[in-house]
Amino acid sequence: MFRILKKSLQTGVVTGQHPAGAAPSEPLSQDAIEKAKPFRRSLTIREVDTGSCNACEMEMNALANPVYDVERFGVHIAASPRHADALVVTGPVTVNMERALKAVYKATADPKIVIALGDCAIHCGMFKGSYAVTGPVDRHIPVDVRISGCPPRPAEILAVLEGLRQEPATSKT
Amino acid sequence: MSDARPAVEQVQAAFTQAITEVCAAHGIPMLRVKKQDLPTVAHFLHTNPGFRGSLSLLWAVDHRPREARYELCYLFTLAEHKDWLLLVTDLHGDEREFPSITPHLHAAKWYEREIRDLFGLIPVGHPDLRRLVRHEHWPKGSYPLKKDFPWDRVLGRVQGEYAFRKIHGEGIFEVPVGPIHAGIIEPGHFRFSVAGEPIMQLEVRHFWKHRGVEKLFEQQQLNEAVPLSERVSGDTSVGHSLAYCQAVETLQGVEVSPRARYLRTLFLELERLHNHIGDVGAICNDTAYALAHAHCGRMKEQLMQLNDRLTGSRFLRGVNCVGGVALDLSGLQLAQVEVELNALEQDFSAIEKIVFANASLTERLENTGILTESIAWDHAVIGVVGRASGIDRDLRRDRPFAAYDMLQPKVAFYRYGDVRARMRVRLDEIHESIRLIREVRRSLPLGRLVSQPMHQPQPGAWALSAVEGWRGEILYVVMAGDAGLIHRCKVRDPSFVNWPAIQWAALGNIVPDFPLINKSFNLSYAGNDL
Ligand code: SF4
Repeated sequence: MFRILKKSLQTGVVTGQHPAGAAPSEPLSQDAIEKAKPFRRSLTIREVDTGSCNACEMEMNALANPVYDVERFGVHIAASPRHADALVVTGPVTVNMERALKAVYKATADPKIVIALGDCAIHCGMFKGSYAVTGPVDRHIPVDVRISGCPPRPAEILAVLEGLRQEPATSKT
Repeated sequence: MSDARPAVEQVQAAFTQAITEVCAAHGIPMLRVKKQDLPTVAHFLHTNPGFRGSLSLLWAVDHRPREARYELCYLFTLAEHKDWLLLVTDLHGDEREFPSITPHLHAAKWYEREIRDLFGLIPVGHPDLRRLVRHEHWPKGSYPLKKDFPWDRVLGRVQGEYAFRKIHGEGIFEVPVGPIHAGIIEPGHFRFSVAGEPIMQLEVRHFWKHRGVEKLFEQQQLNEAVPLSERVSGDTSVGHSLAYCQAVETLQGVEVSPRARYLRTLFLELERLHNHIGDVGAICNDTAYALAHAHCGRMKEQLMQLNDRLTGSRFLRGVNCVGGVALDLSGLQLAQVEVELNALEQDFSAIEKIVFANASLTERLENTGILTESIAWDHAVIGVVGRASGIDRDLRRDRPFAAYDMLQPKVAFYRYGDVRARMRVRLDEIHESIRLIREVRRSLPLGRLVSQPMHQPQPGAWALSAVEGWRGEILYVVMAGDAGLIHRCKVRDPSFVNWPAIQWAALGNIVPDFPLINKSFNLSYAGNDL
């Protein structure tokens, strides 16, 4: 017990100790921000891998580590699409995963937003054109937010999630 | 490595009728065997106590359009010699059948099914001819690695259902899991047959992520496919790109400079380090010990940020290139690496003590998910999982590549084969990696980074290369084609070999322990499915 406390005290708080990520290459659309409005204070994410190389997954996992600690912004990772507000989709959508992706989209309760994470999800990346790939993601389900990079750094993912928590610009009347 | 010649002569003497040609390809002794005699020769190599050969790789090549011929190649690692031996056989013209060796060698099971799915060649006598890579909705007759199959063909969809193995009995029911899992993990399907809590049977059904990587390689130039190899399995970017580069370098006769070889070693060990530390944390997390998970996650992040500072990529992408390495490290950077790793080692050791002082955690690890030595041997299991189950193999020592011949790595080795043993192997390797990186810093020679090719390979020339990545042996076979293109690239991530073994390790355990067992294997889905 003493050892554990000592270690924790020695380590201190590491949250936020990371370099700032590059600015997102595609700014968030007003539509996406508007759509994310109900989830501003709490966003529950279901991650779906449709054939990534697994580096994008690793960066999603990194969001949960103490350095990025995405939970402090009210972002949770759900175990089931039934509990999710947002789908984060990685990978170019393989022939074998196409059905599963559509099923997950259907199973996610409305309203929902879809985030395409990584170059593969956005335009199939290096796997474009292959006989085994039918993507990109927006060929199969509507995509609201795109986070480019191969893979995007966790800080960059975090910045986009931050952006979704903005107050939507009030429409002119 | 010892001399394989006596072994070759012995096999030749035992099978004078069956062997039609003896030669060597880049130092690997090669025997051309008559098709019908293959199972006997393979069985002899596997069971003869003087060889104890295990099947390391089985691949097929379609030689069209140059020749109407398929070639099947069986690579054996002879345990008694630590040497490779290659058996080769041909299918001419319209021949589509070859005798299966699976009844003699479990390890050939998935390879033969893979060849059937991708080339349409039929392993006669194979006990399980269900589809593996091509799921049931793929139309009949679509064999993507045949040369007359266009790489960008759009496939239709047909009806079809995979028949899972069933077991019957009172109170036995099935639990299907996947392809999409609860956590942030890659897709795969697990079908448990359970009687109450204990698992009676587990069937793994994968290849959801099949992206056609091997066919994509065939569209690329030899010199330009490094980025694709980095994306076969993202967490093993360095391991895969290194194996690919080495194969091309053998083909082009490139002599990589000592400095580049040392730097490659350093990057490969950095990759091993962040993955192993992440795995230790994940294993603790699956026993619900969140504290260790948080500490390991923090240290892993520290290493990823270090990677980013050194190379501009958290996954060390872009460091390997054909002929050497694409970037250099200054003396100052190396000194910083050493300072940071020294601190990290102390930090990590403290966590190790905390973890092993926690009886409720260690109790979960002991005797969970035991993979026995004999099953590991039958399935030719390799890497971390093999070394925890009494398979004493590590390419860094057995067939040194990069700068490992100068560094004498110590090999972690345990026999009990449970989750604890796999964790122990990782812990030992973490300390050894840090030692190796220190060693690299001390003895890094000066020199150029990239060496030039001596010649361009003839179409049909091929080379095999092997790298001990953090999961285990990564093998690449690269065959040159016309106009600098790749004719064939066989990629073998260690996961492909170790996945079938997990079906055995799970038996008799309770379902809630499966995530823990799976984590302790931590195999790649992307590298397996290709
Ligand atoms: S975008 Fe890059 S990192 Fe992400 S899955 Fe695709 S290849 Fe891997």
